[in-house]
Formats: sequence, C-alpha cells, structure tokens
Amino acid sequence: MKNKTALIIIGLGLFVGLAIILFSIPKSNIVNNTKLEQIPNSEIKDGIQYITIDAKGGYSPRVSTAKGGIPTKLIVKTNSTYDCSAALSVKSVGFQKILQKTGEEVIDLGTPVSGTPVRGVCGMGMYNFLVNFE
Amino acid sequence: MENKKYTFYINGVHCASCKISIEDILSEQDFITKSNINLKKEIIEIETDGNKNTQEIIDIINNKIKNNGYTISEEKISKDLSTSDNNIWKALLIGISFLLLFFILQKSGILNLGIGGETTPTTSFLIGIIASLSSCLAIVGGLVLSLSAKVAQDNNKSTGKPLILFHIGRLFGFAFLGGVLGLIGQALGVNFLLSAILGLVASLVMMILGLNLLGIFKKNKITLPSNIFSFFRKVEHATFAPILIGIGTFFLPCGFTQSMQISALSSGSFFSGLLIMFSFSLGTLPVLALLSFGSVSFANSKYAQLFFKSAGVVVIGLGLFSFIAGLAGIGIINPLFNI
Repeated sequence: MKNKTALIIIGLGLFVGLAIILFSIPKSNIVNNTKLEQIPNSEIKDGIQYITIDAKGGYSPRVSTAKGGIPTKLIVKTNSTYDCSAALSVKSVGFQKILQKTGEEVIDLGTPVSGTPVRGVCGMGMYNFLVNFE
Repeated sequence: MENKKYTFYINGVHCASCKISIEDILSEQDFITKSNINLKKEIIEIETDGNKNTQEIIDIINNKIKNNGYTISEEKISKDLSTSDNNIWKALLIGISFLLLFFILQKSGILNLGIGGETTPTTSFLIGIIASLSSCLAIVGGLVLSLSAKVAQDNNKSTGKPLILFHIGRLFGFAFLGGVLGLIGQALGVNFLLSAILGLVASLVMMILGLNLLGIFKKNKITLPSNIFSFFRKVEHATFAPILIGIGTFFLPCGFTQSMQISALSSGSFFSGLLIMFSFSLGTLPVLALLSFGSVSFANSKYAQLFFKSAGVVVIGLGLFSFIAGLAGIGIINPLFNI
C-alpha cells in the first residue's frame, strides 16, 4: 500500500512536470508580453510595415506587436530550417507553404485591422506565432 | 468410453486471435474432441474422449500453451489484484517519464542543429537522425510503437516479420516516391490538408491502440469497428499491409519529411530525389527500428505486461498531443502547446 501511494505521488509529480513543459511560455515571450524589453521586429519603410520572424525550431518572437491600419508584409526568415516551422500556414491570409530551408519568405498581410491578431502555425501544429496589431 | 466435458479457467488470453491460436493448438490433440474459449468469462470448455483424468488434461494442455503465456487451471486464479493494480501505476510512471523526457528533449533546442549548405545524401541522413528524435517521433514513432506493441501482444509467436516488412516498405517507399518527386518536380504528398488529416487519423489509431494496450476495455477488448479490426488483423498477418503502412508514413505530417520532399522536388532528377529520400529514411531507421524490435523483445520477456501498459500510456500521450496539435495545424482550434 505504501508502495502504491509513493508511485501515485511520483506519477502526479511527473504529470505536473509534463503539463508545465507542454503549456509554459518560453522566457523570451514573457519579456515580450510585459514589454520590458521588446525586441523590435517591425519597421516601416516607404509606407509599408515589415514584420520579421525567424523560423527555426519554432518561431521567434512568438508574440510580437505591430501597428494596425497600414499595409503590412511579414518576412519569415529560415536558416537551415528543416523542422516543422518550415511548413508554415497563416490561415487569415490563406498562406500555406513549405519554406525554402534557407531564405526569406515575404507574405503579404494586406492592411491588418487593429485588434485582429494574425496567427501562424506550422504544419503539425506544435509551433505557432502571433502578431498583435494595435 | 464416453465423451466428458470439462470447464477450466484460462489465464493470459487477451485477444480474439489468441483465442483462435489456442483453439488451433487444442484441435491438434487427439483426445480433445471439442474446445471453446469464452473470452469474456475467461473460461475454456473442453470435450474429451474420456481417457484422461482432469489433472492429466490440465498438464498436457498447459504444456502446449504455456510457451505462449497462457495457463489453464481448475480454480480461478485470483489474479493478485494489488500487483496488477501496481502494474498500472508503474506503467503510468514509466510512460509519463518517457513522455517527459521526450518533450524536454524537444524543448531543449538540442535538435535545432544547423545543417546548412547543399542537401546531399549525407546531410539527408543526418537530418533523418534528427527527425527521428524530433517531434515527428510523436506521430511516426508513436504509430510504430503502438503497432509493434499491438502486433507483439496479439501475435504470441512474435517473429517481428510484419515489422521488418514495415521498415522495408518505409525505406523503399521513401526512395521511390523521392525519385518520383525529383522526376516530376511537382508537389506530391506535400499537400497540407491531406497530410494533416492523415496525421489526425494516425493519432486516433494511436489512441485506440493505446487504450487497447492498457487493457482499459477489459471485458470487451476489441472496440474497433469490425472492418478496421479486420484491417489490423491483416496488419498482423499479411505481407501487404505492413509494407503499405511503411510507404504511407511518407505522407504523414512531419516538417522534416516535408522539407526533404521539397529538396527532392528541386533536385531535378529521379536518381537524386531517390538518394535524398532514401538517405533520409535510412537516418530515421535506427530509432524506429529500436522502437519496433525493442517492443518485440520486451513482449517476449517477463516484463511483457508492464511493457504493454507503459507503451499504452506513451502512445496515448503522443496520440493526444499529435491530435490536438494537428487540429491547431489546420486551424480548427487555437494552438495549445508551446513546444
């Protein structure tokens, strides 16, 4: 009986660990959310806003913020990217493509509306990124 | 002498095909005129020619079937409930530890090695090795593990033949389809929706097989619809099905596979496409072979029951993960995980 209780307790502990790993948000994004040290990943050139996201073993930054109401293009940079993040789908603009292993993919987001975030997901769904427009 | 009827308790029978194989063995015995196994009640009814006494019959039958892990007895062996209960907890522990290690490995970023430059057979091979440890293992490895464990569990004389066929199908299927990609230079099997749906189907199969391995459905073991069930029967026994499933893994969602397909696509010739995909699948072979043949050797050891249950936990976990992630991948739900 003692044995069993011990097993159950260890099992629960491991389960909690698993949940933490699956659902926790990477550190870099907490920094982003609290805006302590936002990594600038968007710039406006000739009236067009460019947002840059790196794709390799996930997307970074995973959450970023840009301005709404201006024509916007998303640049997804790959660098020897073979994993799932190369199989990118941005549903709101109907983009689905397996990216070149090294290069830049420019995705036209049109003119995003403030308050409507754009989400990108990799083919198998375990990596994603979010761009908020304000 | 008159025919006599006996009813014994039978232990260790967990599937319909076990029932058939025991009945086959018993029908080879001259003194047995009739035998019938009731899976639900775990009893076996035997009709004999009446020349043997009860103990003799039990000894003879046990001799024949004990190698396959079955025993019969006059008394119901009260299965030591506490041990089998402990087994479940142990299995949960082992299974969850495995899942934990797997996801830590994914999150650690170790697998984000930079392999740059041209895609050569050597780099394809290396990428294959990485892929076989990556999150692709959740779906391809999970499927391999669940099928292997299921085959081993249902087929007590586990020769591993279906598994060898699976790997052959996978290797040569990848090579051939890679060649075709290189030849036609057009998208094939890189259709997002198709591979996502296949992935969802695969994760469902994993979850069902996982529950089966766990023995959740103790009393009515086979809950798969009969046509799916007969398909798995074929997986176990036929030659064609394992090869076909091996080839089918080409289309399962895995970023690495899809990237390599693009490389094969742009390689420009049948031969170079073939070489890229063949090297890639060769790179994935060690881990997948370990999973499948490891299952067979565990299934033949005394830890068989614990192994099946642990494998069940792992497979259900991976199936659930791939299913939820797959739904997010096609945009039905918002992504839940941040691997």
